[in-house]
Amino acid sequence: MQRYCLIMCRSLTNAQRSAQVLERAGITATVRKAPQSISGEGCSYCVKIDDSRRRRALEVLERASLRTGKIYLLEADGALREVTE
Amino acid sequence: MIYLDSAATSLYKPRAVSQAMQRAMATMSSPGRGGHPAAMAAADAVYDCRTAAAELFHVPDPEHVVFTMNATHGLNLAIHSLVQPGDTVVISGYEHNSVTRPLHQRRAKVRVAAGRLFDQEAVLADFRRLLPGARAAVCTHVSNVYGFVLPVAEIAELCARFGVPLIVDASQSAGVLPLDLQALRAAFIAMPGHKSLLGPQGTGLLLCRGTGLPLLSGGTGSQSVLQTMPEDLPDRMEAGTHNVPGIAGLREGIRYVSARESIICEHERLLLRQLKAGLTGLPELELFYDSKEQCQTGVLSLRSRKLDCEELAQRLAERGVAVRAGLHCSPLGHRSGGTFDTGTVRLSVSPFSTEQEVQETVRILREIL
Repeated sequence: MQRYCLIMCRSLTNAQRSAQVLERAGITATVRKAPQSISGEGCSYCVKIDDSRRRRALEVLERASLRTGKIYLLEADGALREVTE
Repeated sequence: MIYLDSAATSLYKPRAVSQAMQRAMATMSSPGRGGHPAAMAAADAVYDCRTAAAELFHVPDPEHVVFTMNATHGLNLAIHSLVQPGDTVVISGYEHNSVTRPLHQRRAKVRVAAGRLFDQEAVLADFRRLLPGARAAVCTHVSNVYGFVLPVAEIAELCARFGVPLIVDASQSAGVLPLDLQALRAAFIAMPGHKSLLGPQGTGLLLCRGTGLPLLSGGTGSQSVLQTMPEDLPDRMEAGTHNVPGIAGLREGIRYVSARESIICEHERLLLRQLKAGLTGLPELELFYDSKEQCQTGVLSLRSRKLDCEELAQRLAERGVAVRAGLHCSPLGHRSGGTFDTGTVRLSVSPFSTEQEVQETVRILREIL
């Protein structure tokens, strides 16, 4: 079953830029509002990608000097679990 | 109407500008708020404009493009970020009130690098003399009164050498002359959307090399629990709901000028040449221009020896020619150029101005005088 991960971003614009960089690297990425339960300081945005592309996505973002926040696995039932990389 | 007041606001825009604005009004809400399609469509439009501006002005990333209401707003943000009360600030002698009034309000000590009109070397020499010890410098790229192109690249070089952060007012140059934030190493470049970027009124851009201080605090759609503004750009300096239709329109204006940047400047200088040729030799008229074409954009100030400048502008308006007269919100510029007592009539062209319109204006002016 397909699983997704959410990469937390500093701002909407940062999320959009991250998604653009990922798309250019061939990784489908969607900008969305982050679930409230993981938003820490309040409303935030994240990039949603297929979890199977997570490692590659993080490499791409690092190469583009795009700092990422925490990363969460989004389970089919809506549960969220933080992952380290 | 022959519209020659584009240095204030360009009236004629690419059709795509109003089409994009109508589309935004009908289909987009606000970025950074909801996550639904109307909000995300707005987010896409705003990001698209940020990206286009970053590309055109060589901003390393779109997060350093901040949307403002106009250039005045951007200049206030920049000055607020860099200048504390009592700081010494060097400015050119051709600044607009959008620079001098915020500095006055901030109680800055202002040194004016006046320089003679159309004498780039003189302006540069004044900056070289006045910059040591200054907290910041502000320089317009092009005088809104005379179209005088100031040597901003050389001034930026001096600022870098003396460690003085530079704010560039690109109100009259953005969309006409090349502008490169990285090459200039300016702290901030402020510009309006409604002049040569051919966007709608109520739009502007502030290009930021680093970060700055917010002028307004409020909602950003991010880090809502914090009661201070977020640290990261652009949210830090963009409180409140964006002008999405305006930004969507500005995007189309930027698209238009990005494809024609050098052509626009050449076209405007051609029309300026024709204006000068048509009006030179009229004993009633004093023209302000320089023989070195690269020192001037498509702005020509003139004054009559017998008619008050407002009277001349009024007579032109009655004959269907729209110009602007007076001090053009730049008393400092008029003092430096020697026209403070009289003001001038300013003719300013746009990419949509034509040779026929210039010829007709010359004919009407000759008839009036």
